[in-house]
Amino acid sequence: MDQPRSSDEATVEIPESKSGRSKAATIAATTKAARYASGGGGWKRGVGIFDFILRLCAIVAALAATTTMGTTNQTLPFFTQFFQFQANYDDLPAFTFFVIANAIASGYLVLSLPFSIVGIVRPHAVGIRLLLLILDTVMVAVTTAAASAAAAIVYLAHNGNSNTNWLAICQQFNDFCQRVSGAVVASFIAALIFMFLVVLSAVALRR
Amino acid sequence: MKGAMELGAAAAVVKGGMNRGLAIFDFILRLVAIVATLASAIAMGTTDETLPFFTQFIQFRAEYEDFPTFTFFVVANSVVCVYLVLSLALSIFHIIRSHAHISRIILIFFDTAMLGLLTAAASAAAAIVYLAHKGNTRANWFAICQQFNSFCQRISGSLIGSFGGILILILLIFLSAVALSRR
Repeated sequence: MDQPRSSDEATVEIPESKSGRSKAATIAATTKAARYASGGGGWKRGVGIFDFILRLCAIVAALAATTTMGTTNQTLPFFTQFFQFQANYDDLPAFTFFVIANAIASGYLVLSLPFSIVGIVRPHAVGIRLLLLILDTVMVAVTTAAASAAAAIVYLAHNGNSNTNWLAICQQFNDFCQRVSGAVVASFIAALIFMFLVVLSAVALRR
Repeated sequence: MKGAMELGAAAAVVKGGMNRGLAIFDFILRLVAIVATLASAIAMGTTDETLPFFTQFIQFRAEYEDFPTFTFFVVANSVVCVYLVLSLALSIFHIIRSHAHISRIILIFFDTAMLGLLTAAASAAAAIVYLAHKGNTRANWFAICQQFNSFCQRISGSLIGSFGGILILILLIFLSAVALSRR
């Protein structure tokens, strides 16, 4: 894997062979291999750079989702004798899972940036790309799970359910609902970027 | 030099055999995933529980259509099941021809899309199932599972096949990637 590719000409030691045909075939095979190797590195480097840029965008999306959901706190200006009308992300377990999962996704993305840089510097590193692909696939599942669980609760909060007598709470907690919906959208964008990253790694894997 | 060429040819045959083994394992995993998602869709789609008492105004009845999330769950599982059946053909093609690159990349692309769809459906249904079991005091949402026992057991069980399908899809993507990286 670590063949010096800086020089176009390489000294090939051809053993004393009786037939000149095998000598010519060896030289032709070596130059062909050198040309193929340097040409393959060009577009793979571009794919690696695109991969790095996508990771930066995904960090922004996942961090935005985490912070937007984590800082929700709306208190209604009226209260009864028994409790105060307050809505927090802690009150719904799906939202707690959302914050945790998006924090894990952001942390993973930050940690995977050096691996992505290695993929740019060495375009033919197969092990690194395989590792990034499998971890990105797991992150697709985690991020999509968190985003859609929160989306199901947000849908319920907007529309309610007449069959089970669940009231739509968004009519009262307006600001809370808007923030939470925005966080879900950001998380879905992060999940989409993860899917792009998986396909990009797969394209860069082929020899 | 002739000995080196023979060794290279033997290594190529071993690698080709390994690729073929991966492709056969891929085919078997797809069959298992088809069964899992189909079972999930059927288990959720055939829920219908009617409580033995009723008032003058409403009858106490629960089925999957009452929840839009569960409708989405049934539809998504059916779509993934149909996609897996169609992708069996491509999987058989990969068993026969181990060196097909473009079709493997296409397979990875569609597998990732279906993974996203299945995970979205399964986790949205899981959120609603959790709510049905526990309720939520803050939003004043009552836990309906205390009355509709059989309905709740059915919808909880149907989630298992779907999550199994998610795990298998992740494994399938990994297998295709490993087969791509080996020549």
